[in-house]
Amino acid sequence: MTASPGSDLDGYGSAEHSVLEVEDLVVRYGTGADVLRGVSFTLAPAEIVGLIGASGAGKSTLLRAVQRLVEPSSGSVRLGGTELTTLGTTELRSARRRMGMIFQEHALIDRLSVMENVLCGTLGRTGFWQAVRRRFDEADVSEAFRLLHRMGLEGFEDRRCDELSGGQKQRVGIARALIQNPDLLLVDEPTASLDPAASVRIMTLISDVCRESGLAALINLHDVPLARRFCPRILALHEGRLAFDGPSLDLTDDVLTAVYGEEAVESHVVPTPGSEVGRAD
Amino acid sequence: MRTEAAGAWRPPPRIASATTRRLLVLGGGAYTVIALVTIDVDAARMAEGAARAVDFFGGWLRPDFVTRWSDIRAGLVESLAMTLAATAAGFVLSVPFGLGAARNLVPPPVYAVCRGALAVFRAFHEVLVAILFVAMFGFGAFAGFMTLVVATVGFLGKLLAEAVEEIDAAPLEALTAAGAPWLSRIAFGVLPQVMPRILGLTLYRLDINFRESAIIGLVGAGGIGATLITAFARYEFESVSAILILIISMLFLAEVVSGRLRRRLL
Repeated sequence: MTASPGSDLDGYGSAEHSVLEVEDLVVRYGTGADVLRGVSFTLAPAEIVGLIGASGAGKSTLLRAVQRLVEPSSGSVRLGGTELTTLGTTELRSARRRMGMIFQEHALIDRLSVMENVLCGTLGRTGFWQAVRRRFDEADVSEAFRLLHRMGLEGFEDRRCDELSGGQKQRVGIARALIQNPDLLLVDEPTASLDPAASVRIMTLISDVCRESGLAALINLHDVPLARRFCPRILALHEGRLAFDGPSLDLTDDVLTAVYGEEAVESHVVPTPGSEVGRAD
Repeated sequence: MRTEAAGAWRPPPRIASATTRRLLVLGGGAYTVIALVTIDVDAARMAEGAARAVDFFGGWLRPDFVTRWSDIRAGLVESLAMTLAATAAGFVLSVPFGLGAARNLVPPPVYAVCRGALAVFRAFHEVLVAILFVAMFGFGAFAGFMTLVVATVGFLGKLLAEAVEEIDAAPLEALTAAGAPWLSRIAFGVLPQVMPRILGLTLYRLDINFRESAIIGLVGAGGIGATLITAFARYEFESVSAILILIISMLFLAEVVSGRLRRRLL
């Protein structure tokens, strides 16, 4: 655990049987300052971890660096024991298939149908001509139907994605990530463009599917009450460093002040454990 | 609150110095006068031309579709064939060049080669390219077809590259994150985003190519242009009128068809 007052629970931060191990990760854009400054943590199988922090703290960069959508400047990222930072193009593509990613603004292809968008999650294992001719494997198509049913989008298969609401789009994004059959789910601000009720529904869905399939998840959330409610463990970033790693119950005023600053906590912009403002439940 | 000066407000001048502004106006005026004086305005030639213009416009009022109909029909069919074939071939060839010339998709050396090639394709006017191809392949429709292909690739390739550079990067990133290979990322993440624009531009290029097919025919590259220049050379202004009316009608028809296609496809 890192700078986490009263959060010394056994098992946190253990690299044994972990899905993801991040060690001393540094990311620097160009010649500028470091965005991530030596971040280390591990994720156990089926563990749901919330990632919080102020804007610019490096939350999205951390998720993208795990996927190597941004190249780490130094440090190590291991997925199920495989070191990702040194992989070549082909091996990296294989490794990425084991990490499902859910994006803030859905990142769907609006002009394609819901089914096509979901099946895009299988492009890593589907041949190019097979995919272009829309001859996806029958097992993948059946799984896509099952996931759409699970997401509450039954009957939406042939609808174009630009006809869907924000919440529906996010559920298509979740189905696309899950059809990869990943070991780990990386979720980048899934509720950023949703109203509070839709946010709770989406977080409930993500949390439920992770529990059902024993899937580990690292969820970047700007909403602290949502993170507390749905993530038993919280990582908090402050200026690119891990300022807290522990159970959500230990997210005290002091920790939130260290992460967001005194002004944000005092004005209840970031609700503290005793505060009712902004609580989702 | 300052209200008394509101009526006196003027936008600041684009050129701050009043002296520079006056000098620019004076310089522009002087240049125009000198340019007009330099042009050799010959009243006698204008009078002679006016008589020919009366013949020419008189011919417009009496279009003759019959006398040269077989030549006109052959020219139109050739122009249409050149236009359709060149637009289709140009569209297909423009895709690899357009993707290669998009900075966000390819490494810098590929970008430089494809951008350079597209710049060469667009460097010369179609008439110059047609003269070159006529010299290479001889008179006829093949030279015209090649000319229009080059022009179409230059036009569509550049606009496709620009469209690709403006796409929403998020879906492409999502496909990268799913482990999709490059070709699948292009097919699913890029082309669906740019295809409506490219299809619209291709239909627009079809119009342009039909018009260009008439122009390049004037230098021997086949099509209705060759029929037109022959009619001009024979002073058959009635046939010229018929040909021009047919070209305009074809363009109107193309406009209607492309409008319907655009609505259906997009």
